[in-house]
Amino acid sequence: MLPRGCGRRSAAALLAALGEGARRRRELEQRAARSSALLRRWGSEEEEQAQPEAGASNGRESKPSPEELEELELLNKALEKALKVRKSILKTPLEAQGATGEKCAGEEPAPKNAEEQQVPVPVEDVPVSTKVRSVGKKPASLKKPSPYQLKAPYRTDPEVKKLQKKALSRCVSRSPRTAGKSSSKGVVCKQGRSPRRPVSAGAREDCAPAEPQKAPGSSRSSLNAQQRFSIGDSAEEKNSVAAGRHLLDAGKKSCGFLGESSKKESPAAERALGRSTSPRRVTLQEKGCQLKLPLAYRKAYFRNFRAWERCRLCQTSAGAAAARTRFIERIQTTFCSPRPAFSPAEIEEELKVLQDVPSLLSQYVEAELADQTTLQREYESLLTLEGLQTTVSQCLCKLQLLRAAVESQRKMHPDCPGDIGSCSPACVPSRGQMCDSAGMLAVPLLCYSSFQELRDLFALKLQVSILHQEIALQKLMMAELLPVLEARPWPEASAAQLYRAVYTQLCEGGKRFPVLVRDELAD
Amino acid sequence: MCPARRGRGRRGAMRRQEPEQEQRRGRPLPGAVGALCRALPPRARPAPDTLRRAKFDRPQASLDFWRLLYTLLKQIHGHKWAESDAIDNQIRFVKAALWYHGYDRPELYRLPSDGSAGSRELLLAFSWLLHRISLLEQILAQNRVKTGDETSVCTCEDDLRNSLKGTTEKAPEPGLEGGVDVRYLQWLNGRLRFQWRSLHAQHQEQCKLLHKIHLFTSGSHMDQILGHFSVTETDLVRQPENYKQLLQLLESETMQLEAFLEWKQLEPVYWQWMVKTREEELQKEGFSATARKIQESVELKLLDLAYLCAPPRKRMHGSHRLVFRSKHPASKMVFGGSVSKESVSIVSATEVIRKLQMRETSLARELKQLREESRQRLAEVAEGLDGVICISP
Repeated sequence: MLPRGCGRRSAAALLAALGEGARRRRELEQRAARSSALLRRWGSEEEEQAQPEAGASNGRESKPSPEELEELELLNKALEKALKVRKSILKTPLEAQGATGEKCAGEEPAPKNAEEQQVPVPVEDVPVSTKVRSVGKKPASLKKPSPYQLKAPYRTDPEVKKLQKKALSRCVSRSPRTAGKSSSKGVVCKQGRSPRRPVSAGAREDCAPAEPQKAPGSSRSSLNAQQRFSIGDSAEEKNSVAAGRHLLDAGKKSCGFLGESSKKESPAAERALGRSTSPRRVTLQEKGCQLKLPLAYRKAYFRNFRAWERCRLCQTSAGAAAARTRFIERIQTTFCSPRPAFSPAEIEEELKVLQDVPSLLSQYVEAELADQTTLQREYESLLTLEGLQTTVSQCLCKLQLLRAAVESQRKMHPDCPGDIGSCSPACVPSRGQMCDSAGMLAVPLLCYSSFQELRDLFALKLQVSILHQEIALQKLMMAELLPVLEARPWPEASAAQLYRAVYTQLCEGGKRFPVLVRDELAD
Repeated sequence: MCPARRGRGRRGAMRRQEPEQEQRRGRPLPGAVGALCRALPPRARPAPDTLRRAKFDRPQASLDFWRLLYTLLKQIHGHKWAESDAIDNQIRFVKAALWYHGYDRPELYRLPSDGSAGSRELLLAFSWLLHRISLLEQILAQNRVKTGDETSVCTCEDDLRNSLKGTTEKAPEPGLEGGVDVRYLQWLNGRLRFQWRSLHAQHQEQCKLLHKIHLFTSGSHMDQILGHFSVTETDLVRQPENYKQLLQLLESETMQLEAFLEWKQLEPVYWQWMVKTREEELQKEGFSATARKIQESVELKLLDLAYLCAPPRKRMHGSHRLVFRSKHPASKMVFGGSVSKESVSIVSATEVIRKLQMRETSLARELKQLREESRQRLAEVAEGLDGVICISP
């Protein structure tokens, strides 16, 4: 357990991020609904009623639900069984399990607190990966039984059910990996204790109609795992070593998998579009290029367009420019002296330019570090490095100036907060230059030339946004969690678990976890 | 001349003076001020009287002026409209924003935070902003009516970080009595990561739908530069009755733009009026001030020399309308007339992608460094755990 304050702050930050993400998802859902409505047959208003209510089933819950806790119980029982099986196997030494053996032997003797939950914990990854393996190996047999078991404890959205059936066969081999991977987060889960549960169950909660496959797959596999264990397991144990590594790829696969499944949806959708049952109903595909906007809109648009053009083209008269400059000069002479070299806005602009420079420079430097074969290449390399060095010293110089400017600004206005707004679109001309105000009035367009480009664009935007968030959370957690561990004495006897949890969170992004080995030789 | 004018305290006398001054300057000033006010967006539109009263440093104009500056600056900085902010918060924000843009006139920062005085100072600051950050043009550009599939192209940190900061001080979740289990944090983190994956899938789905709509409606738009409809426009064809408000917004924007044009014509009058305001200030200060000013303007000149390094790259911000243009050239004319290239400010997706990739690499590196730091600190901690060795993955 964490001390009250830091745990709450971290939880609050994570919940805030979740809330923000949920909001974005709802927005996207609305937009997707609108767009899909346009692509369907027009005039079919009754289809409008089937608006996804996935927004209602939500990511807003901050605690696991009873069903999820039930599933956790089942999972824990399955793991217990696996452990017993494993123990019985380990009694007969197996060289093939050399690597695993070392891992297991280190963890077998109970660690400090000697609670029984500690025992299933370290080896949890093994049975989980076994689950992955076992399900993965026999996809065919899973198809039949799985959908029926699914219904009992789980809430399914009505629309989601339809898509589930289509996607089941595709996702069987992949989703268990997700389950395996997400269950690995249950590493430190204690039996019978509530708050912790695998992400797979939570996946159902957040399920948008577009990707229901994930949830059924993962929960299916966890239920099946129980059954599989009762069928002979010994052969599967051997795969556990290799299987552990597969857990790592699950994240990437699921991402790709989701993209794929949505792609696979589209041919089906397009086939539906192609069929038009009544002559009145046409699709966008058929008549899209003949559509005409309403006259009123066209007129308003035309007038608006013309007005923007005129504004853009109109110049500031000479008289106005002169009078304006006079005014500005006079007023700037009343500003504080000495004036700092940069205004805060300028400092921020400069910093934004500089912030990508280190990463770019290190890429260049790495490219030049390879051994050069010919003399010409060596010389080229030398010149490049010298050029890079000049750039670096220029940037450092600039940084010094900026730092001095920040200091002087702080002295002048000690009570002004440093943070007004992160994305300030205010065009900040450098001193003495006039801003190109007419440029601001041109129509801003973002042109893409292919579908792939559009997808890359959005994927990158999201990735940058996610990275910003991750970094912010990382900094927050480091500030909150590291002091807890660095302070002695330890908060509780379960320090090893806490350590591992914190390590996973802070060093591996919550994806992988270290192994804690009891140091027998120390005695 | 000026002291005599100000000597007359009675409002009635002053009132009589104002029309005379107007007449001395001719008709244009009310027109200029009026046009300036009408060029501002409806939510942030002052009455022309406010500006006139501010020139005479009327206290009653102060509150209105603070509010005006607050609204405008909030919009510029991309914040949401928050009218309910108390006056001292508004004042604090305006002062901070003015400082941010480099307005270093000390008199403004000494103004009281109940908004009871200082309208002339605010008028000066407002005029400075008009020039320095092209306030009018920026506001117009930012409030541009969105008829397309707008998407932002900047790589700045969005509001996520701010929302994270805000919540750390909020009241804790109910039900978290006692400490928080670290596994709860892990669970939340897992959910967050799943949410990111879902968002990715949703975005890709949205791309697919968008692209289809763009493709299917190619050739339909009367504006050849755009070439195809946006989602909004397609929906407009399907259900015109839902979009009356859009039409109204377009009309009101057109009127605003026309007011802007009027303002550009009458601009000289306004600036001359402002120079007069400044001169009235100057005469109050006396000789020593003049000497100081000369010194400072020389310093200014020298500082410009010292300004080193390459000018900042052009930063892209704001919303851009998504337009699909396949590779083959399409340079048709619009509305039968010729439209120059400068009437559109085109950003290509390739450029944005490159910038985003750079940003991504930078950020990934930063994250890696943070994780490395954590690893080192935890390694030190591990030495304190007796009898346990940690093997990292």
